[in-house]
Amino acid sequence: MSGDSGAAGEGSAVVVLDEALREQFTWYVVAKKEFKDTVRSKGLWVLSLVFLVLFVVPLLGVVFDFLGLGRAAQVSGTGALINTIYLNLVALLLPLIAMFIGYAALTRERESGSLKVLLSLPFSRRDVIIGKVVGRCAVVTLPLLAALALTALLLVSMSIPFDPVLYGLFVLFTVGLALVMVSIAVSISGAVPSGRWSLVVNFFAYFYFSFVWNSLANGLGNVMQNQLGMGGSIRWQITLFVKLLSPTQAYKTLVNSRIADGPNAARLARLEMFSPGADRATLCTDVLRGNATVRQTAFGGNQTVCQAASDGVPLYFSDAAVFVYLLLWIGLAAAISYYTFDRVDL
Amino acid sequence: MAAIELDGVTKRFGDVEALRGVDMEVREGEIFGFLGPNGAGKTTTIDVLLDFVRATEGTATVLGHDAHEESRAIRERTGVLPEGFDVYGRLTGRQHVEFVSEAKGVDADPDAVRERVGLDPEDFDRKASGYSKGMKQRLVLGMALVGEPDLLILDEPSTGLDPNGARRMREIVREERERGATVFFSSHILGQVESVCDRVAILEGGEVVAVDTVEGLRDSLGAETVLTVNLAESVDGMVAAVEGVTGVESARASGATVIVQCSDDVKMEVLSAIEDAGGNVENFDTEEASLDELFAAYTEDDE
Repeated sequence: MSGDSGAAGEGSAVVVLDEALREQFTWYVVAKKEFKDTVRSKGLWVLSLVFLVLFVVPLLGVVFDFLGLGRAAQVSGTGALINTIYLNLVALLLPLIAMFIGYAALTRERESGSLKVLLSLPFSRRDVIIGKVVGRCAVVTLPLLAALALTALLLVSMSIPFDPVLYGLFVLFTVGLALVMVSIAVSISGAVPSGRWSLVVNFFAYFYFSFVWNSLANGLGNVMQNQLGMGGSIRWQITLFVKLLSPTQAYKTLVNSRIADGPNAARLARLEMFSPGADRATLCTDVLRGNATVRQTAFGGNQTVCQAASDGVPLYFSDAAVFVYLLLWIGLAAAISYYTFDRVDL
Repeated sequence: MAAIELDGVTKRFGDVEALRGVDMEVREGEIFGFLGPNGAGKTTTIDVLLDFVRATEGTATVLGHDAHEESRAIRERTGVLPEGFDVYGRLTGRQHVEFVSEAKGVDADPDAVRERVGLDPEDFDRKASGYSKGMKQRLVLGMALVGEPDLLILDEPSTGLDPNGARRMREIVREERERGATVFFSSHILGQVESVCDRVAILEGGEVVAVDTVEGLRDSLGAETVLTVNLAESVDGMVAAVEGVTGVESARASGATVIVQCSDDVKMEVLSAIEDAGGNVENFDTEEASLDELFAAYTEDDE
């Protein structure tokens, strides 16, 4: 078979898929338009550059030892690299970048008047919200995957031990976080009247998720204990659950759990979300169903060590569940946005 | 069945009442002009038809569907040229038309659309961010025509068009009616409406103050022909003679010219009255009152 006919076959497969999607999902045409429109902007190149800087530059820093991480980080491989350089950097910057991509998605069209053209076509307002979310997600995912692929190539080509499964999961969670934050940003832009509002609300959302949420969760636990008399297991169950609802917290604990690997990894990763002052024994045994033992440290203090037990962590605190909580934000944000956007006079 | 039916539509934005009980019916297959000065509520009415805004009271029915509950079904069969729109600057004209075809699930030929609205082929394949207002207007008019809609809603379609573009737009409006479509278009420039519309409505301060054919509006105002008579030379008493004719509203002389406002059927009597008074008529010219004047009569004595 010649190469030409192969290409044609592939082309028609794309056409068939395109048509099937169009017939199945009324929002698909909006998403496609959104993607085509945004891909042509200079912003996409800037975005690629930003991701390149975010992922590749720190790697070069490690290789050439600018960061003083030493050979240790290099030889210990993918997990150590993700842990030492990427995890906090990505959790801090990726949401910011993603929100920047999404915050004007609807307000810009509303302010310019192109929304009138869009909504004079047979799209419902829900189609517009979903199409915008999907389109912008695609716009962010493309350069993100490219940068992550390049990073993987560099890792493989250098003498750093490469763990494809771990790296693949890291990519999955990272893309998941990006999608969630883009969805939230696009949704906010559908729910507020102007671009300026969207910028402000998005910034507050970012700030709360990244810097305030954890304290709020801890504060909630304290209120339960002190004001409501709900101590013990239930307090820590709820505190942990609230912590996991923050997209960045969920992302971090997921990646941590996969880096550590093994039967106790998820448990330790969840436990790591708490400060040393937390009731680790309760968390370990009652909340996460582990084996807590108290050991004397070399300095004479007590240290609670959480070990694996016959049971794993409860399903609702497992990695799979945490990943689902993370992705639930996409639907939740879009639903709130639709509820607001559907009622408003344009 | 009516293409558009408004029944007591009221729209309040906070304290401002943009529409006050609008009742109107647009019949299938007609060209309906929607007239009114800026701020009269024309765009708000159109926004209600397209579910961009929701009526505070009353109901709007378009093509037999409720404007709010079944908006999608309406927009599937409607082509729209909105007011205050913008295009997607990074997409070409062609991509815009293709987007509409996909959205409506039809297979339109983008080049046929382009030719119809008179866009240059080079312009059609470059990004729309460089388009002039008139080019954007042509593009979105073309997008409205995709898929042979049953109803065209055009809000101030002549905005930004040069005289050629405005003429082309009127031709397209007529062609679309020939095809069987209903055309509803708004304007504050009356000359454009006058020549194409089967019927017009005049909107003023959020209320419909008149719905009729252009001729009907003329008649109902008792309107008037302006007769300009040129004489060989001025004759004493000619104005008085003309004013004596039944059906003449006013007459004035300007040199050897007499300008008479009268109903259409007394022209000959006016001319013979002038000759009887000793005037020698060289030529005369009649002119119907323009809709502008009618429009002014409707909208100005309100206050």
